[in-house]
Amino acid sequence: MSTTSHYQQSTLSLHKLGVFCGLAAAVWLGSAEAPTKLVNAGFSPFIISMGMVMGAFVARWTVPTLLKGTGFLFQDLVDKPHLIVWALLAGMLWAVGNTLTIFAVRNVGLAIAFPLWNTNSLVGLFWGWLLFKELRGSGFKGWSKVLGGAFAIVGGAAILAVATAQHSDTPGKAATGIIAALGAGVLLGTMYIPYRKAYISGMNPLSFVTIFTFGELGTVFLLTAINTGGVGPLFHELQRARPMLFWPFLGGFCWVIGDLFQQYAAKYIGIGRGIPLSNTNQLWGLAWGALVFGELAGVNSSARLLIFAGSGIMILGALAISMADPGDSELVNWKSAMDRECDRYGLNHTNVAAVVAGDDPHAGRPQQRRWWEVVIMCCAVGVFVWLALGTKAQQISINFPWTIVLVIGTLIPLGVCGTLLWRRTRFS
Amino acid sequence: MKRSNLMCVLTDVHLWVPVGILILGTALLMTLR
Repeated sequence: MSTTSHYQQSTLSLHKLGVFCGLAAAVWLGSAEAPTKLVNAGFSPFIISMGMVMGAFVARWTVPTLLKGTGFLFQDLVDKPHLIVWALLAGMLWAVGNTLTIFAVRNVGLAIAFPLWNTNSLVGLFWGWLLFKELRGSGFKGWSKVLGGAFAIVGGAAILAVATAQHSDTPGKAATGIIAALGAGVLLGTMYIPYRKAYISGMNPLSFVTIFTFGELGTVFLLTAINTGGVGPLFHELQRARPMLFWPFLGGFCWVIGDLFQQYAAKYIGIGRGIPLSNTNQLWGLAWGALVFGELAGVNSSARLLIFAGSGIMILGALAISMADPGDSELVNWKSAMDRECDRYGLNHTNVAAVVAGDDPHAGRPQQRRWWEVVIMCCAVGVFVWLALGTKAQQISINFPWTIVLVIGTLIPLGVCGTLLWRRTRFS
Repeated sequence: MKRSNLMCVLTDVHLWVPVGILILGTALLMTLR
């Protein structure tokens, strides 16, 4: 593939880069749960979810603006306007899927619901194979590593969920909860169709998420309004939740960083490999819960054994996928999926191939910064400062030494993976 | 967006699979609430 960039590029393979992104995504998606644990009881899960999505909206505009500038993002959208539909659609799928998970947890508890909706990686793998020719031509060895790894991660998640669940005594409504969890798995797995389509068409993940967030926020707003009895009661609830809104906002911000790494993983190793890797986020959520919030203090030895077994199985699954590089025969199929998009939408084959290979011709060029980018950044910082100033101290004990260790453990993948992405692709 | 591209979007199976799932998911959600 041709390289037209003007910068000193690292020689890291795209497979390794994608694996690093998938693992960094897991760290940040798992850590995003931590701030929401600081929310006092007494608020509807819809309001907490709404708070996270509002934080995500702020982050989805500021991070891309900071990294690439609005000029680059708008140009990318103008070059591929048809993909705006898919970006909005992905946001809507996420919103409905996420709301279903709330119903599922209410009705059957986390232990049953989580493994069921975690099957989204298998759904994504299926769509990747069917619609984007992922894994085709990879042979028995490749298939067994990816499929075996994906099943191991789902299995490990199931064991962890059973071992750590504290609210599994939810009588009745079981069938409803199971259907909701399965539905969430299908919706969240299907959300990866737009992701993959955008990236094999040469769209930048940073541009994709700036549109995704409109579908996400609009749909969540609508669903929350329906569930709280209208727009008036929704704003009233948000006002009541004002003293704790900073925490879900912060969670939403962390979630976006994880999601961005997930987007890059989907771009560089496909959804069949990238999504199972990022779904190991449960390990990091567990680490925060157990080490910082002391949630496992009362568990017995058999539950601890299950936790170690589940974690080990997940790690083995992630290792198997990490070692499943796509061979030449599979890459031919990936190219054929890319060619389909270029032919159908009149895209330039050479340019798209370069972007898909991480060599965006525009990536190395200096971007002109606009005055409104400063306004966007100031607004984002202002919102967080305003929310932080009005936040009341939460009555919850945390382990400070472990908090510091995990914060450092979360920042290291951000620094390492961010640097790798910059050196190899200039965030293209 | 060009008219020809709009037709390509509307006849793309990559659009209708997620749209179909979204409709079914939303119907499920409305039934469960």
